[in-house]
Amino acid sequence: MKVFVTGMGAITSLGHGSATTFAALVRGESGIRAMPEWRTLNGLHSYVAAPAVDHDVSRIPRAVRRSMSRMSEMAAVASHQALAHADLQAGGGLNERRVLLAVGSTIGSPQIMETYFRKMFEKNGPEGQLSTSFFKIMSHSVAANVAASLDFNGALLSPNAACATSTQALILGWEMIRSGSYDIVIAGGADELHSMSVATFDIVQAASRAYNDRPEESSRPFDAARDGLVVSEGAGVVVLESESSVCKRGVRPLAEILGGAYWCDSSHMSQSSAATMAKVMQLTLERAGLKSRDVDYVNAHATGTVHGDAEEAKAIGAVFGEKIRVSSLKGHLGHSFAACGAIEAMACIEMMNAELLLPTRNLREVGAGCEGVTHIREISPSPTRRILSSNFAFGGLNTSLLISKV
Amino acid sequence: MTEAGPEIIDQVNQLMRAEFEIPREKLQPTSSLKEDLGLDSLDAVDMLVYLEERLGTKLDAERLAQVQTLGDVYLLAAASLSRGQA
Repeated sequence: MKVFVTGMGAITSLGHGSATTFAALVRGESGIRAMPEWRTLNGLHSYVAAPAVDHDVSRIPRAVRRSMSRMSEMAAVASHQALAHADLQAGGGLNERRVLLAVGSTIGSPQIMETYFRKMFEKNGPEGQLSTSFFKIMSHSVAANVAASLDFNGALLSPNAACATSTQALILGWEMIRSGSYDIVIAGGADELHSMSVATFDIVQAASRAYNDRPEESSRPFDAARDGLVVSEGAGVVVLESESSVCKRGVRPLAEILGGAYWCDSSHMSQSSAATMAKVMQLTLERAGLKSRDVDYVNAHATGTVHGDAEEAKAIGAVFGEKIRVSSLKGHLGHSFAACGAIEAMACIEMMNAELLLPTRNLREVGAGCEGVTHIREISPSPTRRILSSNFAFGGLNTSLLISKV
Repeated sequence: MTEAGPEIIDQVNQLMRAEFEIPREKLQPTSSLKEDLGLDSLDAVDMLVYLEERLGTKLDAERLAQVQTLGDVYLLAAASLSRGQA
């Protein structure tokens, strides 16, 4: 059973929707800007981020919106975009079909958690708390709120795997459709910007500090002068659909998912290793029934950290050899955590359909340890048939996805 | 029963518009909170929080749970303020 992509929706630091974001990527734009409001936070050293563009939630009824944090709002808007792109109707249009909805986030809303606990401590108890606060904090808040906004009654799952969340959802979707369990899987993830996310990486010296006054020069995946990631936010939602459903509905597929794999590296909570990254890439090839030579380009997770980028370059080189073309989009978009996998998968599909490959923004001089692959430095016109896209998360949650042009 | 003056009515109506997005024309004393204004049990909890914040006084949560119409909310708010000032 073939699995196709029929719809894509996104809110990113560069725009609304996959096509708008891609157009900005082609123009070489950066969504990263200075965050002067973070300079007052004691102990923080990174003052750059890539906030998502504004989004209009006025079409979501108040009774649904009242339970939504920022990340759920973005996920809901992206989900509606993806459904419209796939020519599917929310509500009955979904509920009459065999649909799995799988969207998640890194955690529940940190913005609402901060508000909740500030008040809790101030009042020395729950006095004055709103009834809906917990619905924004719970770990499956994004999934539950997207379901509500789509008027969806059916199978709902909430993958929560930080930076690998939406890639996990896409792989799960591919597995579920291949197994015949569902005809359509709506898969994705979302996260919102908060000082906690930048602090998490800054504490371990993995957030960019040297470019606070030159935000567009960071992050710098694979570059010799890279000094850490730049946090972002957003939502990415993709509609996956079985070949039979695509034929029955008469819709045009945007791409085919050939395979995907998860492979946990339990040896260290935060330090990824080339060996297990290579393992998940190899496993993905095997599950797709392909050889490394069948892949034309690798879209790297590469966030701009000193350790992670070098390990990933080593892994890609080991699996695909030095001629494989590689780039990362974190230099344009920042790192949107749970959203990035779906957003990057969309960018891969746009690249294949536009017959060009995007470069790694801010890559001037390849850093020591990041050699061994062919880095894309500028937009390269290129007919591309198959792309491998990877995402790696804390806890050793490694994922890779194989996407093909149709 | 304490009568609700125009200032209290205005404050409650402002709250209904700002927090529950209810159009001005629907804000009538006879409007049913549930049937006409579309508020549910979660909204009732939040209404208590918003009213206490705006009025700067504690409300009787048990009485608020019994109210049926917007006019009942006006009267409860007026009674709470009157009690607070007594």
